[in-house]
Amino acid sequence: MIKKSIWIYHLNTGGCNGCDIEIIDVLTPFHDVERLGVRLVGSPRHADVILLTGPITRQSMEKAINAIMAAPDPKFIVAIGSCACGGGIWYDSYATVGGIEAFYKILRERGVKPPKVIYVPGCPPRPEAILHALAYFKGLASKKIKKRIFVEK
Amino acid sequence: MSRFTLLKKAREIGVVTERYPYKPTEVPEGFRGKPEIDPEKCIGCCACIAACPPNALTSLDENGYRIIRIFYGRCIFCGRCADVCPEGAIRMTEEFELTADDHEELIQEVRLKLVRCSVCGRYYDTERHYRMILKEFEEAGLKVDPEVLKRCPEHRMGMNAEVIGLRRVRK
Repeated sequence: MIKKSIWIYHLNTGGCNGCDIEIIDVLTPFHDVERLGVRLVGSPRHADVILLTGPITRQSMEKAINAIMAAPDPKFIVAIGSCACGGGIWYDSYATVGGIEAFYKILRERGVKPPKVIYVPGCPPRPEAILHALAYFKGLASKKIKKRIFVEK
Repeated sequence: MSRFTLLKKAREIGVVTERYPYKPTEVPEGFRGKPEIDPEKCIGCCACIAACPPNALTSLDENGYRIIRIFYGRCIFCGRCADVCPEGAIRMTEEFELTADDHEELIQEVRLKLVRCSVCGRYYDTERHYRMILKEFEEAGLKVDPEVLKRCPEHRMGMNAEVIGLRRVRK
């Protein structure tokens, strides 16, 4: 999807820090995501990809929208962890928006075109799962999951 | 302290970085990856749905089918569903590379046929579960009319051994 080096920005929207620790794990010399050209940046203005963790709490929603809008186009979002992908165990809590789908609905209502999202489920996902998502951006790895429906005959 | 202590140490240890996207990685023993429903074994009893903490597993009765749906996007990989499944149909696999473009890709569905109540005619239970109950009666050595047993919970109220026509078969 992106041919050149990916610069990532880490955006926590009220998660428990489990996924954040796994993201830091990806940057350590053992997993060393920099060999794929991925670099962590401190500002969304420099980022190509935003790593979003957490269930998007009501308190953090406005800041998350500001950070996402500050990133230049073309931009992508990688939703890391169960909270970001589908709300996790807080999917029906009053204090959270409830995952990226509900968040995108709010963005569309406000007239903001939401960027494309890649899902990385896991609670927290393994560092390799995050590496797989970033390698998928570079075209180094292929998707391994698809929708499956079984109907009893 | 020598100037080359660090270089010596680095040479001693060598490369520690794993080659993950190019070479596959191993998971530790007892790792809980993606839970998978075996559609041949599932009887649609919904024990997993009651146990699931984030309601990633949901059920829906629709058009004569019971739809058991698992959404991996919300799953927290706790393994409760695999623990409570009476048939051992849910298994925690070692798959963790669940990167997906669309949340629809993170769904697994099992659709099981339902049976109708013999009194009111509404769908109430899966065919597999009904057949399993019949089999259990047979194994216990009890003879029962299958049509009488095929009743929804409402019409099952007030039934006793006499109504079902239950009698012990002598072996």
